[in-house]
Amino acid sequence: MTQIPRWILPAAISVTVPLPSYAEQYLTVSAAQKLCFPECDQFVPAHVKFTPAQIKAIEANSGQKQLLRGQEIWRATQNGKLRGFFIVDYVIGKDLVIEYAVALSPEESDKQIEILNYRESYGGEIRNPDWRKQFVGKRPGSRFALNNGINNISGATLSCRHVTEGVRRVLATYEACVK
Amino acid sequence: MKPASNRVRRARPSLGTFVEITAGGDNEAKLHDAIDHGFNAIARVERQMSFHQSDSDVSRINREAFQRKVTVDPWTWRVLQAAQKFSRETDGIFDITVARKLMQWKYLPCRYRNVSEGNWRDIVLEKNCTVRFRRRVIVDLGGIAKGFAVDCAVKALKCAGVRSGVVNAGGDLRVFGLKSELIHLRHPAEPMRPTGAISLRERALATSGIYFAQKRRGRALVSSLLDGRTCRSSRKLISVSVAAPACMIADALTKIVFVLSEKSAPLLARHHADALLLERDGAPSWMFRSSCDTSDRTEFD
Repeated sequence: MTQIPRWILPAAISVTVPLPSYAEQYLTVSAAQKLCFPECDQFVPAHVKFTPAQIKAIEANSGQKQLLRGQEIWRATQNGKLRGFFIVDYVIGKDLVIEYAVALSPEESDKQIEILNYRESYGGEIRNPDWRKQFVGKRPGSRFALNNGINNISGATLSCRHVTEGVRRVLATYEACVK
Repeated sequence: MKPASNRVRRARPSLGTFVEITAGGDNEAKLHDAIDHGFNAIARVERQMSFHQSDSDVSRINREAFQRKVTVDPWTWRVLQAAQKFSRETDGIFDITVARKLMQWKYLPCRYRNVSEGNWRDIVLEKNCTVRFRRRVIVDLGGIAKGFAVDCAVKALKCAGVRSGVVNAGGDLRVFGLKSELIHLRHPAEPMRPTGAISLRERALATSGIYFAQKRRGRALVSSLLDGRTCRSSRKLISVSVAAPACMIADALTKIVFVLSEKSAPLLARHHADALLLERDGAPSWMFRSSCDTSDRTEFD
């Protein structure tokens, strides 16, 4: 078996060539729910609207700004018995918009974290509140499900700091609004 | 009709980056199960080898190994051994005790005081996975543990019956199985812009980029990719990619190639590795293919 990699390099790298935006879809909400709570048979969504006091508490506990005015929180149940909660959140990094899910159970605060999808972000749009609105209560799916045949990327490592911070905010949200 | 072969891909935040596991096989439920095993292996590496977590092996040896022998996880032991081997081979260009400088330059959090000057020779690996420091040095496995984590995940996936797949920890990746995979290289200045592609089969690839990790320190530009002997970093290159049979080897070699450039040819040949270097303007400056370049006799000191 040969072990020689084949280097395919462009003849010249031009800055002017427009490049396709990069996006990746990993899991749908329902697939992620089944992975996080395999024993559960029902996931009941509730749209929780934050009160100003809750927003304050979330920001104080997580040290993160809470830009959302509400969040979709699913109750995972098995034969009617509550097993945990499932929260979908998104973060905007320097280069990526990342949608991810946090599964929580009464025993484990962050039972499982799964990235649902991500796509390239463009600096300007993320400051626009209208643009941000699209994520509120949104089900991931068709919109970002394109990946232009780019499956694997190697390069200077992207930091997951934004997700780590986001998870802290989600846990604070859980503390403030669910517990 | 269901397709004969499935492909499942998932990602989690881990090792300070995004870890992506792709697995191919017949039964989708089994693939998800195997991917969980892969992520668990990566979580174990992170738990033991993180510089940031205070209860990791790395934090324990940094705190205590100067005063007493510290017993570590066999996995941590293997990575320390591999790191020492690379240090010996390169006479200290690869050196995990550069953590001291990285802490000074704020690439790592300032968690230790009174760290003394020293190098890899001050690390003593004794029997039964025990570690001892001759001086009050500190270590960071950031330059090698991510590759090791990828190798561990691949092993876990194979053990769980996955025939083919890819484990990619933020650009340090390994491809296994009969199928070859196309890997796009990210432009160091524009992370989402691919600059070229490499086809890999049963092989690992790691890339280290300097571009946005650079900081100004007085009048000098510093980066986390530095020569362990002089603590200087390369000015010429912005990115190094190395392909090797295992990801830990590829990961460590990128750091060495960054310093040695072309002079790393014998080392690359010894590890059956290939390398691609990018210069500041993004043009590939040097390529090394282990198979066709074994006659190269360039020696380095």
